[in-house]
Amino acid sequence: MYYAGAVALLLVGFYMVLVKANLIKIMLGISFLDTGTHVLLVAIGYVRGGTAPILSESLRQSAEAGGSVTVVDPVPQALVLTAIVIGVGVLALGLSIIVQLYRHYGTLDGRQIRGLKW
Amino acid sequence: MVAAPLLIAIPLAAAFLVLLLRPVIGKGVRFVPPLVLLSNLVLSCMLIPRALAEPIVVSIGGWAPPLCINLVVGPVGVLLAVLIAIVSFLIAVYAAATIRKEPSDRYHMLFLLLVTGATGTVLTGDIFNLFVFFEILCIASYVLTAYEREKAGTEAGFKYLVQGTIGSTLILVAIALVYGLFGTLNMADIASRVSTVDSPVLFVAAGLFIAGFGVEAAIFPLNAWLPDAHSSAPSSISAVLSGLAIKAGVYAMVRTTYTLFNAPGFFGLLAVMGVLTLVIGEISAYRQREDIKRMLAYSSIGHIGLIVFAFGLATSAGSFGALFQLVNHALAKALLFLAVGYMIYTAGSKRLSALAGLGREMPVTCVACTVAIFSLVGLPPFAGFMSKLSIIYAAVATERTLAMVLVAIVLAATVVEAGYFFRLVQAFFFRESHGPRGGREVPLAALVPIVVLGILIVVIGVFPQVVTPVLRGAADELCNRSEYIACILGRP
Repeated sequence: MYYAGAVALLLVGFYMVLVKANLIKIMLGISFLDTGTHVLLVAIGYVRGGTAPILSESLRQSAEAGGSVTVVDPVPQALVLTAIVIGVGVLALGLSIIVQLYRHYGTLDGRQIRGLKW
Repeated sequence: MVAAPLLIAIPLAAAFLVLLLRPVIGKGVRFVPPLVLLSNLVLSCMLIPRALAEPIVVSIGGWAPPLCINLVVGPVGVLLAVLIAIVSFLIAVYAAATIRKEPSDRYHMLFLLLVTGATGTVLTGDIFNLFVFFEILCIASYVLTAYEREKAGTEAGFKYLVQGTIGSTLILVAIALVYGLFGTLNMADIASRVSTVDSPVLFVAAGLFIAGFGVEAAIFPLNAWLPDAHSSAPSSISAVLSGLAIKAGVYAMVRTTYTLFNAPGFFGLLAVMGVLTLVIGEISAYRQREDIKRMLAYSSIGHIGLIVFAFGLATSAGSFGALFQLVNHALAKALLFLAVGYMIYTAGSKRLSALAGLGREMPVTCVACTVAIFSLVGLPPFAGFMSKLSIIYAAVATERTLAMVLVAIVLAATVVEAGYFFRLVQAFFFRESHGPRGGREVPLAALVPIVVLGILIVVIGVFPQVVTPVLRGAADELCNRSEYIACILGRP
């Protein structure tokens, strides 16, 4: 279920990056790609019935009471935090480059920005 | 051993220090990167003997290797760290002399971040850490490509950003899949367990790694960004992108295919893709007359193809040749971009014809360029001859039909390469300039890095034994993955 959501987000992202001509939409597509990856990472670390992996007082009490405590895997969550920071940086940079491009060309249509040949 | 983390920590700290120092020492900030990178060079050279004896493993945070993030300074790591330190130091000296547009503190900060990312990528032993350093490298290079904010650079920067980010996403998805299978991010730990799992997911992850790092390494067909980015960026940045950034991509790709997966099915693919990249790169370079930096950029694609082809042979001799070629290409291409950058500034045009007759006005620079060109084409006694010879020797030694066919194509591509490079030499020395240009020799502070790079190329060409022990050790490290695993996880 979660995996399907992640894959769907990734596909939407790829579609937007590859097909859309508007530069802002391309950046949005990149944002979708990021989110899809994050969902995938969290889904991989999910343990059924698990709670947040934070060593809290209530967690300790229930462990001392003899009940077993399931927590989800904390590593993917740490990875997602890092990836979010990187994603935000890239997004901000991309948008600021788009502002610069708009000043040069006066348009956001990728088809009209063809100063360089491919 | 404290020196290995310092290699990453010093440039990282200095990058942000540059911004703080700016109000205090003003224009003096341009001397920070050369000083910092000089210390990196000294530190990494000090590590060479110990790293060759046995890979230095540094565990960060005090946990034992499978749990912590670790740095691995093996022969490959130390070879590339020294290469990065030398080339970036010389480029920093050149930039201190030529980056005139103030305020330059942001430029120096980004440059140091780029070097941090590249050094971290080659030294880390943790797959997610590798991704993070790789992103530092990539983001710094996107910004530097668009640094001058003029039309072409901004557009190239945007293209580079979009394509690079897609590549990074693929890498992150691959990391997620690998973590899902093995529950660990340590490269040695994954490598030791990779043979116990037989799953199509593994195959997908390996493919995603190759595609993701292939974007930064500019493997065909993932290289559309490179000619634009390398030709539109400021010259010192073109040099560092061509000399170091794409090499970090190749390293990461090779590290994942060789050490992490050791998937034999992928090596043939690498060899074929390498040759394809080589052919496309060299033919496109031959067609460029309008823009000489674009020609050099396409030539970089060609050389990356050659390096990937040699790695794709999957033998120790092949890796030796590939690493040798990687070192030579970094030195020669950095020299060419630095020298050509100044020539374009003098001539006021990027056209090949505008550079005609420069050999009389800038004799030292043109001779240094010629040395680099002869080395890239592979003429004796320059460094490139030895590396190309060892690649071809390694390919023939595999005695596979596919390798033989590919070698024939490689040799044909070298002829094309000689064609366009000799056109440049001919323009320097055997063409008359059109009208007065008043070109003078490059100023001394910018000339020194160019000449030092030229001397290094000649020295390595005449005395290859100064680098071969490190190269040999590095090739063995790549091909002998059980040794690598044993060093990090401890011997059973």
